[in-house]
Amino acid sequence: MLQEDHPLVKSAGTVSLPAAELKEFVAALMQKFPVIAPILKGREYVFAQLEDAAQLADDYQPTILPAKKVLQQPLETVFSFVRQEAFAEDGKCTSLGEERICFVDHGAAVQKKVLFGVRPCDVNSFNVLDEVFCKDLPDPFYCQSRQETLIVAQNCVKPCRSGFCYYQQTGPGLQRGYDLLLTELDNAYLVEAGSDAGRELLALHPFAAAAPEMSLARDELLAATSRRLPKHILTRNLAELLEENVDHPVWEDLQRRCLGCGTCTMVCPTCFCYNVYDKLDLGLESGVRQREWDSCKLMEFSQVALGHNFRKGRQARAQWRIYHKLLYQQRQFGKTGCVGCGRCIYSCMVNIDLTDVASTLGGE
Amino acid sequence: MSNLLIPDSAIVREVFHENDDTSTFTLQFTDAQKRLEYTFRPGQFNMLSIFGVGEAPISISSSHDNRENFTHTIRHVGSLTRMFGKLKVGDLLGVRGPYGNGWPFEQAQGKNLLIVAGGIGLAPLRPAIYYILRQRELFGKVELLYGAKNPGEMLFRHEYSKWAAHLSMLLTVDDAAGFDWNHNQGLVTGLFDKMESVPENTVVLSCGPEIMMKHVTKGLLARGFQSGQLYVSLERKMHCGVKKCGRCQVGSKFVCHDGPVFAYDVLENEPAEIIGVLGRE
Repeated sequence: MLQEDHPLVKSAGTVSLPAAELKEFVAALMQKFPVIAPILKGREYVFAQLEDAAQLADDYQPTILPAKKVLQQPLETVFSFVRQEAFAEDGKCTSLGEERICFVDHGAAVQKKVLFGVRPCDVNSFNVLDEVFCKDLPDPFYCQSRQETLIVAQNCVKPCRSGFCYYQQTGPGLQRGYDLLLTELDNAYLVEAGSDAGRELLALHPFAAAAPEMSLARDELLAATSRRLPKHILTRNLAELLEENVDHPVWEDLQRRCLGCGTCTMVCPTCFCYNVYDKLDLGLESGVRQREWDSCKLMEFSQVALGHNFRKGRQARAQWRIYHKLLYQQRQFGKTGCVGCGRCIYSCMVNIDLTDVASTLGGE
Repeated sequence: MSNLLIPDSAIVREVFHENDDTSTFTLQFTDAQKRLEYTFRPGQFNMLSIFGVGEAPISISSSHDNRENFTHTIRHVGSLTRMFGKLKVGDLLGVRGPYGNGWPFEQAQGKNLLIVAGGIGLAPLRPAIYYILRQRELFGKVELLYGAKNPGEMLFRHEYSKWAAHLSMLLTVDDAAGFDWNHNQGLVTGLFDKMESVPENTVVLSCGPEIMMKHVTKGLLARGFQSGQLYVSLERKMHCGVKKCGRCQVGSKFVCHDGPVFAYDVLENEPAEIIGVLGRE
């Protein structure tokens, strides 16, 4: 799209966008791609495909569900199957005498899209999920979607209501993992490209050159946001504290309070567990295998045939979530399982707060 | 990108009823190319599907040497496995795999083997027994301890005489009432007093209910075995087999990928609150 000698490429892809032109740029993106961005829904925000650039919520609190939902959809069809004589040619079929069963792969077609206005915590969650879904045997759904999604991220120049990203080194400023990165300054956005694909997007709007002091202003704003975050999490020796305090009274306390509702895991940007089930049509001739987000906080999660449950008690389940987020996910994938977005804290009906748990373990 | 979650099709070639609630199914891939390519290691499992009902991880119970077909021994106790109980010769099902690590034959070569199985736990050990019988000279003394609820529940009974020619076997049941039974009675751990196996130069392979394996590890540690010598095969809920669905996590391990076979020293220091009874109490 953009010639190599284009001034924007030469400027290493750092430009300025007057605040009043933000939605014009979004409209330009929408000409080329489906654009998924935060919009207001009731009193909360959600990621949804924009129908009109005016819908964009450019100054939003964390969305109810994380941006993860665009890449690992809450419910998706893995494949469909049909039992019949003749079937469309593109399916994979097996014939058995009179009988014939055909499969249709639902992981095949993925559309290129733009995920706009993603916060650093959510972008960092993608780096965690990439480890889960795209290493070893790659998951076709997540990985293809990830490859085909352009990330226009947005730094947090104001603290959100329950975030502690700074302490997890996942915000409020984003270091990597974006195609374009926006930082809202006084009356303009500093726009930085982080990839060739991002630099190409810069051709879609007549950006102005960025003044050198804009970068300084960005750094100051992000530093100020870091100081004003509503939560902090103790990170020093946290792994050791967790290892040594399996029997700490704080877990007993969680068991008393936790309702086992699973909300904390549904809103978590790094939770990846899913359930799988088949659905048959009423004629019993065809059906689908689907997968759906699942939660280790729900009792049936670890239950096997004959009713044995490997994590039956609410305490075991409450404890597992926190150990997985703060200890095991790091060991499994070399990246923290908690990106500090604070959604689980804000959403919990009984105010369970994993930063409080960490503080209690640390004797604070 | 290929969709690794779509199973291959296999046809049921034979159904053998082991007992009232357990059958061994001989399966064959319908695709000739797949039959050629497919290999597995003893102790691995496949994800088996009945389309419209669901999918579950089931250990392979046949010899890895047989490249024409393979068997799964299934106890019909859950909503899916009860449907397996209705399968007939000629029926079609889905197979993905093999997955998991399998039994540690690299470490076991040249050593004595003690195999401790309980109930349906003998199924994933049967490929290991075949492996040993095929190359008996690679191993020292081999002893099998097997326990079941009653004599009727013992699996693969028609093969014991063949096995016993090459390895020592001790059998026990919880309750022999109504059966003509001249072996032992009591828990499988009760056989430790009668076995010939000693800790020196021995690798232990165990599979059964987790509470049984807990007592097996305890009993063997008390007899001087080291936890690094003991290997256990775990059961967990699984929905993918490829380290994605998260259901089978045990601490930082994925049973489908890092297991299902674990050296006990990997598990014994993880808290039981988090990984289950095999963990540290």
